Amino acid sequence: MHPAAPATPELPLVLDGVTIDYGERRAVDRLSLTVRPGEIYGLLGSNGAGKSSTIKAVVGIVRPRAGSIRVFGEETTANPIGVKERIGYVPETSLLYEGLTPREFLEFVAGVRRLDGATAAARMRAYASAFRLGSELEEPIATLSLGTRQKILLIAAFLHQPRLLVLDEPLNGLDPRTVRLVKELLGRYVAQDGRGVLFSTHTMEVAQELCRRIGILDRGVLQGEGTLPELRSRIAQGDATLEEIYLRLTREDEGLAETLRSLEGP
Amino acid sequence: MGWREASRLAEVAFLEVSVQAIYAFRQGTPVPPTESHLLVRRSRRRVAQSKAIIGALLCFLAFGSALLLRASDAQRALFVPPALPVGLFDAAVLTALVSLVVALLWWTGLQALPTLLTSGVLDVLAPLPLDAADLRRVAAIVYFRLFDVPIAVVLLSVPLAVGWALGLWAGLAILPATLSAVAFALALSLLTGRFFVRRIQGSRGGGGRTIVRWAYLVLWLVPAFGMLGFLTLAPAFFGLLEHLATATLSPASYLVMIAYPFSMAVLPVLAAGGRGAMDLGAFPLSWVATADALYGVLAGVAGIWLCGSVGNVGLLPASVPKGPPEPVGTLDLQRPALAVLTKDLRIASRTPGFAFLILLPLLDALALGLVSVLGTPSPPAARGLAFGAVSAAALLATFFGPAFFALEVLAHSYARTLPLSQRSVVLGKTLLVVGIYLAASLLVLGITLTRVPAGALFSAFVAAELPAVAAGALLELGILYRWGRLRGPPVTNLYAGTFNILLVSLPGLIVVGLPLLAYGVVGLGEMALLGLAELAACAPFALGRGRS
Repeated sequence: MHPAAPATPELPLVLDGVTIDYGERRAVDRLSLTVRPGEIYGLLGSNGAGKSSTIKAVVGIVRPRAGSIRVFGEETTANPIGVKERIGYVPETSLLYEGLTPREFLEFVAGVRRLDGATAAARMRAYASAFRLGSELEEPIATLSLGTRQKILLIAAFLHQPRLLVLDEPLNGLDPRTVRLVKELLGRYVAQDGRGVLFSTHTMEVAQELCRRIGILDRGVLQGEGTLPELRSRIAQGDATLEEIYLRLTREDEGLAETLRSLEGP
Repeated sequence: MGWREASRLAEVAFLEVSVQAIYAFRQGTPVPPTESHLLVRRSRRRVAQSKAIIGALLCFLAFGSALLLRASDAQRALFVPPALPVGLFDAAVLTALVSLVVALLWWTGLQALPTLLTSGVLDVLAPLPLDAADLRRVAAIVYFRLFDVPIAVVLLSVPLAVGWALGLWAGLAILPATLSAVAFALALSLLTGRFFVRRIQGSRGGGGRTIVRWAYLVLWLVPAFGMLGFLTLAPAFFGLLEHLATATLSPASYLVMIAYPFSMAVLPVLAAGGRGAMDLGAFPLSWVATADALYGVLAGVAGIWLCGSVGNVGLLPASVPKGPPEPVGTLDLQRPALAVLTKDLRIASRTPGFAFLILLPLLDALALGLVSVLGTPSPPAARGLAFGAVSAAALLATFFGPAFFALEVLAHSYARTLPLSQRSVVLGKTLLVVGIYLAASLLVLGITLTRVPAGALFSAFVAAELPAVAAGALLELGILYRWGRLRGPPVTNLYAGTFNILLVSLPGLIVVGLPLLAYGVVGLGEMALLGLAELAACAPFALGRGRS
């Protein structure tokens, strides 16, 4: 168990020694990281690296076996409802209430978040217009495409203007215009009011373009963390791309050439 | 690919359907912190348990009917008018049995088919290098696997039970009715499942469309309601049968004779005792024979249609609503508990399994209310029927708490990230349960008042039972929440979690049933006091901690 870090109310998110197990399998091992005000923190890792497990622990879906998670200084276990009020979340998979339409779903989310009806409606209209959603708002979610579902989840995440956004592969399934729009939106959004964003992705370009600091997860362990220059200095290669840094830190570059050769044979 | 290879693939596909039925990962349930092979084993076991429960129920119905068929004259007189010939009584019992078989198998399909459709398991197989015929074969096997145990139980237990009660020839003569019941039930399940995908699940939002959806669901569920409706309407049915034994047959009597499954239920009675057992003339019997021939052909057509269509189950294209785009709507926001209630109602309006639960007590109340008016019983008897309907609605309500909790399993991963307290969820669902009870009771009240001017007493009875209904729902939801905190979201899927629903519903049944018993012993005031005491005890249990 890690010693408790001092309370830092101004920090959007602090993870301290978080460990997550699924039965015998350890998904995340003593992970500590901090999302600072005004920062988009990128969590980078290959499939199964522990990104989604970390994010699920932050938003209260998974209970860590050890460690603590604080959102704006508040322990998630001490006041789960209060913490959830401050978080906007986009899950990795767009599994929603298939039997509702997006408008009905957003009504439910806004009602649970006790938003004012006029404000919530105005925000919904603004985001729906930005994402070019029209009649889809009245069609059952079961019939919508992956990209449209993702847009609905993004609207639900922004609807209450949370101070911490937790986004798990939020650009999945989106068209290029919407990807651009979300990137711009996040950049402007995080600049206000001491907000923070935890952003999980396995796309290097997105992380490099969008995130101020990046944490590289590999098999549940944080292998490196920092800004791009800091990470470059970590591998002593000043012009390295994020992909090169990632492959070096996770040692996934080892044997890559041999693997490629083996695929050429058959 | 032959049937053997198709069976092997179907086994894998059915396992996936089982896992989805239990854990609903594709609908947003988080993966429990357990080894995956344990999840698979648990899924297999729970699906087998559920099939076994349905099979046991069918077996119980078959041999329960056999006991009625073996009843003495004195025992029979307790249920039916004394003038009713034994043969007609036997035919009525067998009619009820076959009706219940159809209704129960159909209901099973109604619960299981949406799981099969939403599991996406056949969509995974579609891109594989399998030709269309192979894929249809796999789909057909998976569909029949949903019913395998119940069908086997029906085909064995019904002829055995009837043979035990009425003799070997009667046991063989019930086979056409049994086979046709299976064919009709499976075909109806598939037909209504397709209807569900096309007309209900794909329906757009908006108040007017919600009403249309509910209307569709009522139309669809009325036949499935046969399980309860038949028992409810049994007295009126026996009354009609009495006319069959009279010399002058009315048009209604002819309708009964040719109605399915009565016309087929007559066959074992004739096989057991000849024409004399029925006291029916040659002319009415010719009607029965003609109807049976037609039902035989119809069952054959249903079977052929089923075999031809079942291969497409799960491969249906997603329903896309037609019509011009609509303007972006406004938001109608409610407090969290009411938001949960509204969400549940909206989901239920596109999910027949849940809609069935809401409509069941309402339809039962309607049927009992109509019997109390159309059956022209004496005012005390009508009042007794009305009280019975309210009691039935209260007892049925004990199954709603766990069933509506199953809605929380949908999109559970997402819902758990919302600032939604246990108090709000429990309150929302309790409101729904109480609302259904009140709606059913008011329906009975409205109908019964046309015949029995006892509105004050009736309203007092409904009000006195109300706290117990709320207490029962709170107790069940409190248990489920505690269960969830210990072991992850409890499994309460309507089909696969039958065992769990029963476990949680038993305490609820006791809480709801005690005041009803108290009414019979001590009176209305004590009944209300007991209900209030239960509510005072159960409310802190379920609402005491405001955490999610």
